[in-house]
Amino acid sequence: MHPSRLMKSWQLMSAIALSFLVLLSGCSSGNSQRENQHSTSGGKVKAQGSDQPGTAAKGGQLSFALATSPDTLDPQRTGLAVAVRVLRTLYDTLVIQGTDNDIQPSLATGWEVSSDRKTYTFKLRQDVTFHDGTPFKAEAVKFTFDRILDPATKASNSAQLIKPYASSEIVDDYTVKIHLTTPSNAFLSNLSQAQLAIVSPAAAAKDGEQFGKNPIGSGPFKFVEWQENAQIVVERNPDYKWGPGNVENKGAPYLERLTFKIVPEEATRLGGVQSKQVDAAETVPPQNILQLKSDPNFQVFSINTGGLPYTLFINQENPPWNELKARKALQLAIDVDAIVKTLYLGTYDRAWSPLAPTTLGYDNTLENGVKADVEKANALLDELGWKAGPDNIREKDGKKLTLRYVDGSPNREKRNDIAAMVQQQLKKIGVLTEVTITKDVRSIVHEQSNYDIHGNSQVNSDPEALRNFYHSEIKNMAGRHNYPALNSPEVDEWINQGTVETDKAKREEIYKKVQHYIIDNAVIIPIYVFPYTVAALNSVQDLKFDALGYPLFNDVYIQNKP
Amino acid sequence: MSAKESVLAKAVWQETKPASPAVRNSRKRSVSDFLVYAAGAVLLFIVACALVPGWIAPYTPTEMLTDRIMQPPGGSHLFGTDYFGRDIFSVVVYGSRDSLLIGIASVAAGLLAGGAIGALAGYAGGIIDMVLMRLLEILMTIPGILLALAIAAALGPSLANIVIAVSLSAVPGYARVLRGQIMSIKGRPFIMAAHSIGTPGLSIFLRHVLPNSWAPLLVMGTIGLGTSILMGSGLSFLGLGVIKEVPDWGTLLSQGRGYLTVAWWMATFPGMAITLLVLSVNLIGDKLRDRLDPKHTRG
Repeated sequence: MHPSRLMKSWQLMSAIALSFLVLLSGCSSGNSQRENQHSTSGGKVKAQGSDQPGTAAKGGQLSFALATSPDTLDPQRTGLAVAVRVLRTLYDTLVIQGTDNDIQPSLATGWEVSSDRKTYTFKLRQDVTFHDGTPFKAEAVKFTFDRILDPATKASNSAQLIKPYASSEIVDDYTVKIHLTTPSNAFLSNLSQAQLAIVSPAAAAKDGEQFGKNPIGSGPFKFVEWQENAQIVVERNPDYKWGPGNVENKGAPYLERLTFKIVPEEATRLGGVQSKQVDAAETVPPQNILQLKSDPNFQVFSINTGGLPYTLFINQENPPWNELKARKALQLAIDVDAIVKTLYLGTYDRAWSPLAPTTLGYDNTLENGVKADVEKANALLDELGWKAGPDNIREKDGKKLTLRYVDGSPNREKRNDIAAMVQQQLKKIGVLTEVTITKDVRSIVHEQSNYDIHGNSQVNSDPEALRNFYHSEIKNMAGRHNYPALNSPEVDEWINQGTVETDKAKREEIYKKVQHYIIDNAVIIPIYVFPYTVAALNSVQDLKFDALGYPLFNDVYIQNKP
Repeated sequence: MSAKESVLAKAVWQETKPASPAVRNSRKRSVSDFLVYAAGAVLLFIVACALVPGWIAPYTPTEMLTDRIMQPPGGSHLFGTDYFGRDIFSVVVYGSRDSLLIGIASVAAGLLAGGAIGALAGYAGGIIDMVLMRLLEILMTIPGILLALAIAAALGPSLANIVIAVSLSAVPGYARVLRGQIMSIKGRPFIMAAHSIGTPGLSIFLRHVLPNSWAPLLVMGTIGLGTSILMGSGLSFLGLGVIKEVPDWGTLLSQGRGYLTVAWWMATFPGMAITLLVLSVNLIGDKLRDRLDPKHTRG
């Protein structure tokens, strides 16, 4: 080889070797830094324990892997459930909802409802301060709710939840009157949702659009930092002493630091728990739930969410699905038990009603009311005059019996796999299912209404959620949710009654009628109740969940077993 | 023609090893021959799967035996069953059709388009050559998989769109090779002789230039087949493929991915099928290159 060439290759080699060394040293210094951080925090925990002899040293740091990134940490502007998981740590709400759907005090100590049920008078706690030092007063409540109505805020889900709010009236520093345009049974439970959490008026006014990046609330944790698509860090609010009724620890949380890691890839998220790089991870796929449950090093939490279960809506606008017999045939041919058992391996519960079991008014008499029966389904389609064609697909007047099944991508909770199974099951009754998996559900379903079956679910705290999906007034609205295009005066009337009925028992009866009507008329095929699942290391103690299935970190501490 | 282009055009030809002693050569050849026969057998089997899957697969690929989900390989299910209870071997057999089809169709489309552009640019020369080549160079600045991803995402999922997406990134390669070949043939004395006796240009192109230039494209196409199959499976894996009752291998791979720690066989066998197919095609492509290499036959 030519000497100069030789030298060149040597230079190249050494350059490569050098760059590797630099890379390696970079990695190792990063590691050692992290370890240092860890050991100092460990020291602090011990010191705290020695301050209070006798009590167990509760503390530690927790990292919690989220499946997606929150859009904003501004409670009024967020449209995502994942943001609520973080919001719950930073903010408090006026009231909270207990697990049996009762409303309990939180920032409000008590409330009175006027006889026309259009005015709520809240008495407020007097010992609360926001993270920026602003004291919590009636003005903060008025500011927060008026902020939602202000078009400049561009409020998201909160705008729906606050309805039928009209105005707030400050009576004194710790008393606020809230006026509604119409009575609403859902109002108090909506106030318990994190989207209506009270923000610091000083900080929200100052930061404006940027408030979502610098959130200031009165919650058990204070915001530290948000690294886009990587992590959100919050730390203990040492002044916290106004914990709500659904947690045991009313004071400052035990955890010093809580890090929400954003890990969209399922396998990586769970791998993180399995390799102990994170302490907990949310949304565990069924196959891994079984695997982790059998491993003594891990614990799996599974909380059924309330509202509307995952439901297949049959679009009645399109023949032949406008006919009850055709819809009944689908109801009988789709073997929901087989779908839920096969895909979710017994980790999800089958849904029977348009409402989830934890929701007020749930009718448990509907359970086991529908049994798969292919013969009966075939007989119904025969009656309608659909006869089997040469390729076993039914035909009538030269038209094939097809069903357009539209589902969104990506394959969330194996919903696309449900479509694949329904397709096979409907083959048995001679229905040709055209499955469309699309990223563009908005234009195909919401705008063009080009579907016979579309599936959806909604987490909600009140059966009022039924209005959005089954009341005929919703049908022609923009961003429609009345997927079945149901137009039933009876159902409309019941839903309207349910909104204003004050007697809880009577209200439950009304919603039971709605549920019965929907199932008896095969308006929908309920599939599964979605459980919010969290896999955690065994060292994570006392992780709890609120009525809607959102995690509560107030009581959590880390205790390694020897 | 720049020096760089001529090197590119000849790159396919210049990878021959220096002549070695006859004995060693023959031993080497017997090993490589065996590999090629094995590859040929695998390829034949996969083609048979695509043509007559019903003769090979023991089950209907859409049949969901929900009482037998996630069974490990062995017994009545050679590759085990997936989370629907489908027989993975049968699904893989039926899925070969789409994978192979995407590969062959995109190579064919790329060859036709690239070949036409290359021939036109090489034979016409001048401003046409300049414009076409600059356009292709723009196309070449975008990495192949990225281009395919962008096109597949923009056009939406359908078999034709996948073929377009995969073939487009291969077009510049074919065009440049054919252009280089044609330019080198164009200047040879026998072409000048044909010109001098008054043969029309088109006739010279069709009878003398093209037959002497297309051979490298055959080799490139064979090797490109492997890449295309891989890229097509990649697009399906990423959810940009066609959603059908019978999934192709890329889709199977992505369905099995979430189950790697509980049911390894769900992703492993479709993955092996892709690997085997691409490996076989590449081995045969290599052999073909050796055979068609002018230096090799001369030596």
